[in-house]
Amino acid sequence: MSSRVCKHCGSSDIDVDQARGDAVCMGCGSVLEDSIIVSEVEFVETGGGGSLAVGQFVSSEGGLKNPTFGDGHFSGMGSESRAQTLQRAKQHINTLGHQLQMNQHCLDTAFNFYKMALNKSLTRGRKSDHMMAACIYLVCRTEGTPHMLLDLSDILQVNVFVLGKTFLMLAKELCINAPAIDPCLYIPRFTQMLEFGEKSHEVSMTALRLVQRMKRDWMHTGRRPSGLCGAALLVAARLHDFCRTTKEIVNVVKVCENTLRKRLTEFEDTPTSQLTIEEFMRVDLDEECDPPCFTAGLRKKKDQQLKLELQKKIGDFEDEIQEFQDEIDAELESCRPKLRGVYAAYTKEDILSDDGSSSSSKEEPSEGDELHAVAKHFGRELEELTLEALIKLEGGELEEEGQEENVPKRKGPSLASILGRMTSSSSLGLSETFSHSVRDDVDIDGTADSGELDLSGIDDSEINLYLLSDREVQIKTALWMAENADYLKAQKEKEAKIQKEKELGIYKEKKPRRPSKKHPAIRASTADEAIEKMLEQKKISTKINYDVLKDLVVKPGSSPAGAEDSPKVGPPAPRTPACTRRPAPTRTPLSLSMPLSTLGKRLQPFISRQPNKKLAVEQTKAPPPTAATAEAPPSAAVVESGPVLYDDVDEEEDEEEETCVSAMELLGGDGYGCDGDYDDGY
Amino acid sequence: EGPENDPTADPTESQNIVSTVNLGCPLDLKFIALQARNAEYNPKRFAAVIMRIREPRTTALIFSSGKMVCTGAKSEEQSRLAARKYARVVQKLGFPARFLDFKIQNMVASCDVCFPIRLEGLVLTHQQFSSQTAAQLVNNTHKMVFTSTSVGS
Repeated sequence: MSSRVCKHCGSSDIDVDQARGDAVCMGCGSVLEDSIIVSEVEFVETGGGGSLAVGQFVSSEGGLKNPTFGDGHFSGMGSESRAQTLQRAKQHINTLGHQLQMNQHCLDTAFNFYKMALNKSLTRGRKSDHMMAACIYLVCRTEGTPHMLLDLSDILQVNVFVLGKTFLMLAKELCINAPAIDPCLYIPRFTQMLEFGEKSHEVSMTALRLVQRMKRDWMHTGRRPSGLCGAALLVAARLHDFCRTTKEIVNVVKVCENTLRKRLTEFEDTPTSQLTIEEFMRVDLDEECDPPCFTAGLRKKKDQQLKLELQKKIGDFEDEIQEFQDEIDAELESCRPKLRGVYAAYTKEDILSDDGSSSSSKEEPSEGDELHAVAKHFGRELEELTLEALIKLEGGELEEEGQEENVPKRKGPSLASILGRMTSSSSLGLSETFSHSVRDDVDIDGTADSGELDLSGIDDSEINLYLLSDREVQIKTALWMAENADYLKAQKEKEAKIQKEKELGIYKEKKPRRPSKKHPAIRASTADEAIEKMLEQKKISTKINYDVLKDLVVKPGSSPAGAEDSPKVGPPAPRTPACTRRPAPTRTPLSLSMPLSTLGKRLQPFISRQPNKKLAVEQTKAPPPTAATAEAPPSAAVVESGPVLYDDVDEEEDEEEETCVSAMELLGGDGYGCDGDYDDGY
Repeated sequence: EGPENDPTADPTESQNIVSTVNLGCPLDLKFIALQARNAEYNPKRFAAVIMRIREPRTTALIFSSGKMVCTGAKSEEQSRLAARKYARVVQKLGFPARFLDFKIQNMVASCDVCFPIRLEGLVLTHQQFSSQTAAQLVNNTHKMVFTSTSVGS
């Protein structure tokens, strides 16, 4: 229909007649186009008198069948399955999407995601429902629709965390960055559900402002957005004189009441909560708060510091008490020598602590308990003051004087006692481990490869604690036998079975799985040679039509269709046990041009490795037939994805056992390379 | 007080060390389980003896091949000491245990950066290393180094 110049006369006056389908030059009369393709709708009359448009309906995604342009034989099996999967997926996604009231554009995008995932084999091993839900949710996130994963899980009745896991995996694999959920997205939706009537818009605006304020105050990081929305909506509703109870909000927003309460208290802590309603709508405070968990952490630290200070203040009183204690001790010793004599066997600490406690109870009744403990510790810890504790003490002292106001210089031992009480076990433990680690350092250098167990630093008495006495062993044995009776019985039965099999001579030891061994890759110049060599080395399955293979070599022209089939069938052969063992191995060289009658003997070489060398020699004899078949349909070549792997010399040993070897193993271990390609190559 | 006030101290704390060692001889797990006070053995559930010691506070999995996994120690030296203690226990039970190929397999440590972290930003900018756990999309995992929550530690 393009108006162009006539070739003959150069005239640009061209008449295009749609009815006749011609383009004629008006200048010279030559016909420039004939049988122009027109795109018009034609109608035919149906039997009942009505009109029917001529033509076939072709769906946008190409329908179930791929167009076959003459190679329908190849695309037979694979494409149908793939197309069916896609068709099913599209239907499901549309169903799910309509339940969520999503528009068609989003659903198409979701379907595209699904196609991408299918191509990357992400759908394998996962429930199709989960995958589709994940695709839909991915679209929701990227488009920013107010759909929650909870909605999807509601519809599918699937655990939301499972869906979340699938979704995260999908996003990661497709390298799609799903932006973080903005709670503002959910506000309009929840507002609608809460039915505020005319004032919905105002309420949602207020709630939006609240949520934005919360965002700036770091309340939304790491929290469910629906929780924040719930809190904001609650406040907004109250602000506009709607009394929505927490129960109603919880029903809509789907978080727990406690969560709502917590969010509200957190918001209460922010300075914004102090503003009046009008101020809030007008003013936006500049300062931002720290996230609530951070402030909680800070508060905890402060509490701990307060505790430390309190304990140190106790030390203050401890000083005073100490003086009194000394005086009283002296007095008592002089006053009651006899009693002391009786108790002379007791250690001095006990006496001191007793006096300390009695004095403390006289002097400071209110803090009796603490001082009692402190005094006791003081007495005890005198001997056990470690260097580390004293050093800590110094550090602690300096630090305090830097920070606090009037802290009087204390006596060394008392602080140490305080510190000792607080960290007594660890300070003791520390000294041990320090010495241990010092020794261990030496050990690590020394016993590099000796292999002998180095006993230094291991206390034998401690180890002996971990061993039971005879009586205890008996008790434990009885208990354990009772506990594990079932297991023991199963073990005995297994043993008995193995014994029986051994007697009968059919016992086969369970071999641990060996990794598939790699074979030298076949070097062949043409695909046909490669096939031949493979056939020589591999065990052949019963499913391959050898006649056709023979035809490949001998008769290049005949039956191309049949020839194409068989090599294709070869590699992805069904996983049937292909144990073709002939009883009397006779070694005959292989040639594909051998007549079919020698099928039996022909297969012997496949069983053992030795004749392969002969076969290699034979190969050179057989180049003429192979060369002749070089131009045999090249499309008969098998799609090999990588170097073909084969079983190794151990085939000999395998002979003895009738292990069923799968076709995959026949072709060499990792057949998934072929298989995967084959799947996608429709 | 500890690390925050001492400028020279290491702000990171090691939380868990996992190590393995080969005792070099096959072991009779039933015998060990019945003779040791601190051992549990449930062959139906798991094919190893689970032994615990109090100092350093660790747990060990001892297999019948003679290989052992030691977890729960807070430092490398402690892990080695604990492994040696377990080997000593096995020795005392009568097996010719040795101490071959001790190797630290895994170390977990925590660190406080003392300021709050915007998790969403972290995930966006360091997508190579971070991922969000499905549970609540709350904690982000920085695969290389640390797990961060918005507390700032």
